[in-house]
Amino acid sequence: MAEPLQITARGKVALATVMARKGVDAAAIGASLGLTPPTGPLTAQDETMTLIGVGPGAWLAISEYGQAGWAAMLGGKLAGIASVSDQTSGYIVLRVSGEGAGDLLQKGAFIDLDRTAFGVGAAATTVIAHIGVILWKVDDAPTFDVALFRSFADSFRDWIAASAPGLAAPSSPVR
Amino acid sequence: MSRLASGGLIDRTRPLSFTFDGRALSGFAGDTLASALIANDVRLVGRSFKYHRPRGILTAGSEEPNALVAIGAGAAADPNSRATTTTLYEGLQATSQNRWPSLGLDLMAVNQLAAPLFVAGFYYKTFMWPTKLWEALYEPLIRRAAGLGRLSMEPDPDQYDRNHAFCDLLVIGAGAAGLSAALAAARAGLRVIVADEDGRLGGRLLAERHEVDGRPAADWAHEVVDELASLGVRSLARTTVFGVYDDREYGAIERVTDHLSAPAPGQPRQRLWKIVARRAVLASGAIERPLVFGGNDRPGVMMAAAVSTYLNRFAAAPGRRAVVFTTTDSGWATAEDLLASGVGLAAVVDARDVAPVAAERVRAAGVEILLGASVTAVHGREVRAVDVRTGDGGSRRIACDLLAMSGGWNPAIGLGGNLGGRPVWSDAIHSFQIETPPPGMTPVGAAIGHFSLAEALRDGALAAAVIASDLGVTGPIAQPPRSSDDPSGASPPGQARMKKSKAFVDFQHDVTVADIELAAREGFVSVEHLKRYTTLGMGTDQGKTSQLNGHAVLADATGRSIAEVGAILSRPPYLPVAIAAFAGHHRGRHFRPERRTAGHDWAVERGASFVDAGLWKRAQWFARPEDGDWLDTVNREVNTTRGGVGICDVSTLGKIDVLGPDAGRLLDRLYINTFSTLPVGKARYGLMLREDGFAMDDGTTTRFAEHRFFVTTTTDNAATIMQHIDYARQVLWPDLDVQATSVTEQWSTYSIAGPRSRALLQRAFPDIDLSDEAIPFMAATEFRWQGETARLFRLSFSGEMAFELSVPAALGDGLIRMLFNMGRIFDVAPYGTEALGVMRIEKGHPAGNELDGRTTAGDLGMGRMMSRKKDFIGRALAERPGLVDPDRPRLVGLKPLSGEVRLRGGAHLVGLSDRPTIENDQGYITSAAWSPTLGHSIALALLRRGPERHGERICVHDPVRGADVEAEVCSAVFVDPEGVRVRG
Repeated sequence: MAEPLQITARGKVALATVMARKGVDAAAIGASLGLTPPTGPLTAQDETMTLIGVGPGAWLAISEYGQAGWAAMLGGKLAGIASVSDQTSGYIVLRVSGEGAGDLLQKGAFIDLDRTAFGVGAAATTVIAHIGVILWKVDDAPTFDVALFRSFADSFRDWIAASAPGLAAPSSPVR
Repeated sequence: MSRLASGGLIDRTRPLSFTFDGRALSGFAGDTLASALIANDVRLVGRSFKYHRPRGILTAGSEEPNALVAIGAGAAADPNSRATTTTLYEGLQATSQNRWPSLGLDLMAVNQLAAPLFVAGFYYKTFMWPTKLWEALYEPLIRRAAGLGRLSMEPDPDQYDRNHAFCDLLVIGAGAAGLSAALAAARAGLRVIVADEDGRLGGRLLAERHEVDGRPAADWAHEVVDELASLGVRSLARTTVFGVYDDREYGAIERVTDHLSAPAPGQPRQRLWKIVARRAVLASGAIERPLVFGGNDRPGVMMAAAVSTYLNRFAAAPGRRAVVFTTTDSGWATAEDLLASGVGLAAVVDARDVAPVAAERVRAAGVEILLGASVTAVHGREVRAVDVRTGDGGSRRIACDLLAMSGGWNPAIGLGGNLGGRPVWSDAIHSFQIETPPPGMTPVGAAIGHFSLAEALRDGALAAAVIASDLGVTGPIAQPPRSSDDPSGASPPGQARMKKSKAFVDFQHDVTVADIELAAREGFVSVEHLKRYTTLGMGTDQGKTSQLNGHAVLADATGRSIAEVGAILSRPPYLPVAIAAFAGHHRGRHFRPERRTAGHDWAVERGASFVDAGLWKRAQWFARPEDGDWLDTVNREVNTTRGGVGICDVSTLGKIDVLGPDAGRLLDRLYINTFSTLPVGKARYGLMLREDGFAMDDGTTTRFAEHRFFVTTTTDNAATIMQHIDYARQVLWPDLDVQATSVTEQWSTYSIAGPRSRALLQRAFPDIDLSDEAIPFMAATEFRWQGETARLFRLSFSGEMAFELSVPAALGDGLIRMLFNMGRIFDVAPYGTEALGVMRIEKGHPAGNELDGRTTAGDLGMGRMMSRKKDFIGRALAERPGLVDPDRPRLVGLKPLSGEVRLRGGAHLVGLSDRPTIENDQGYITSAAWSPTLGHSIALALLRRGPERHGERICVHDPVRGADVEAEVCSAVFVDPEGVRVRG
């Protein structure tokens, strides 16, 4: 039996956009990071970091431990092979998990979130309620993470409240 | 009461009370409003659209043209609801429509007396001239008389939901063919969605007396539905697939709680579905055709299949003594249903000369059978008797209160034509069929003219097997179940058509045989013209019962076959869909998403009024109780900033990191001026052109490292410029090693402006060196604040000494609160976009009003910024003769000669002695403001040869809002033209 639907803001993560320099492939970046980035709308993950494919040669990188200066550190590691921009404040990341998590997101996202089509590790850059999102599947609980620009947080929360009646409002993400 | 003593799929242990026009009635769970009305002997349910003729219930399905009622009361009242598909619930309130003052006595029925006036093309012929009477007289008149249903005019109190689904197979319609297809596909392992408009799946299996697989058909349907659920099939009852769109996308509307008297809190009323299906089975069945004869619209004349449905499914008898008038075998099934239900059957009239097998059973029951005969007239306001012309040419009058008619079956192929496939006539089934269905769609069963039950069951299973195989699934091939026999012969439409009296073709729009013949005589011989001229098939039912009969009449009138006449193309929606369902969550405050800055809550606490800037909410001003009006507030904010220090949230400006070894080179090609030479730690203002040479956007760019530029854009253009940069680096110059990403949301930025801005910042950040030497005008620096990177820019839009301070947005709320704590001793005030606008006009900075896509760099006074040492986007076309014409309107300032006069944006400029004509137009005001600094109105304008004309006087012509005023042309920079203040 799945856990009840729960939506929480992931407050502690650090985020960065990683863009490969011209002619640099994912393998080269992987060699520097110790984690090879995916070459499609997928996620790659180790204990400390998740890399989400958001476009050709572009990834959203997430550190599970949101220490200050992480993006700068990542930039240093990738000097000469990738450009890095800190996005720790740019996005909020919501974790949608438990019973009906996929059903809720499916109400907003016009992409197939069925487990046969969108398995663990799948990622998508799409739109929910006219708000751009990056979403990916963390596990089969199911757990999804949704990253969206910080300024849309309240409107996104309003959409959740309208689309999942009876669900307690998600813990308010700081703007 | 006309409720049969037993039978039906109603729950007699659950009575339900409801009202119709205020009258208290009762029915049972499982009833529709129509079946409950029939069980209560209510026969008159509405008035027709044009002649206000009394009308009863014609059908038992969504094709119903007559029985349209308003459901509910007050704001939630839903007009034009079909009683035939409205599930009965406890407390339902139904009200008849289109009558005044009451249903029984409708004064508008005098329209009938004027019937010759209301002929085809009536509106076109009558309300022609004088045209000025349209608004005053004709339109209000037509609207009052012709409206179908009334809106409550109050906000809709209900919620509307939205969902998306993906599947291998979408089954449209859950009758015999649909269930058979769904079952076979689900057993083979496909992802299946079943949608049916009824609250209970089964279609005709619920309404006719058949056996499937050795069980009553309704029981078989019930078992299939259970098995589908166990196989993970999503079965959507009360769901109408209303449209087929490109890329195998289907629109559907689910009525989630319309059938409940007390929906659970938070439950939506309806849900809009977007479904992508690799394959679809169109199992929408068929719609029975009415027969066309005089008085065929009287209450008590009903479709034969509907009579069977009310008897078999709802145990409700629509009459006590019936006549069946048929041209089909299925009409005889209704005759047998009447006999089985114990309803008196006076006669069966079959227009054909040869009776089917069933006739013997009917004859054996002692019922009179008239072959080769036709009903010619109906007597009574509600049916009391019918006239029959017998096969030998004689005439008979037969007393009855119910006439069941069956004129053949039209496949329900509306969806099949949504993507442009024209229906094609079939002589085999005497109706139109789909020949070119939308990609991925397979019509089955009655929808493709296979009307018998066995064919439908077989069709469904076969289609599923083919689809499974197409999709690479090789499961067991399901055999269709055995079923009872079901003859389905029919004759062509029009066989029994009578031209006497008012013989109705379109019941909802009151289109008669005579109307169509008149239209044909007047030259409207195309079905599409006929439709629009007579309004045939243009009602909420979209002609589901009338279209084909109308085309048959047109064919006769023009001496063509129906095949030659053709059929109209149906567009979505198949049935009306409430616009609220399309809006869903996105109405009122949620019409579109809002973007809020990190300082939003703080601004709310400070009493900000907000203004929309794209999706952003920006503080427009911060009113204080002592301010008289908004202008007082804005003047105070400007004066505080120019005299002390003000702070403005400028986080909404677009921000883009442009990175990599070729970043400077890319910026040189994007901007008219040069950035590759910009030193680290410095900012520079830049202007971009579009490819066509006109100005596109402006902003400052700062270099933070050799390979790291930070570009800002205007708020409105942030997304456009991001796309423009990506286009340039990915498409135009993929050879450049440059990366770019939007960091608009990463940074929260405040402008701290005014002579005391440095003092305030120094108090807030005592360790930072803020001297002119350390951070001169147009310089930038980074430092740490609360463990994070903060960026300080010495930039000014106001013309005062000013700084822009950026921190990660998570710290934005904390920063603005800290700055105001530190700034209290300096009497710091927040200022909004209005004061920002006033100060930029005082400084002559172009903004959105001037950068409107029609101005060049030269027009804006920035011609000399255009580098001649490099190429850049827009350079070549900016040199077009029209764009370098010295006569072009160019940016100037205007000040009125009299201090009291207000200049207004949009006013035009003409010479003092010129007449204000288009030929004499010399330009217009782009931005205007009251300058509290100067104590008079000021404006920016685009004036022909403007910069050469400083000191000249000109007439400001404002025909919309006021008299002409005289103004002096001057420099666009009104305050501190030497730019002393920004340097501290």
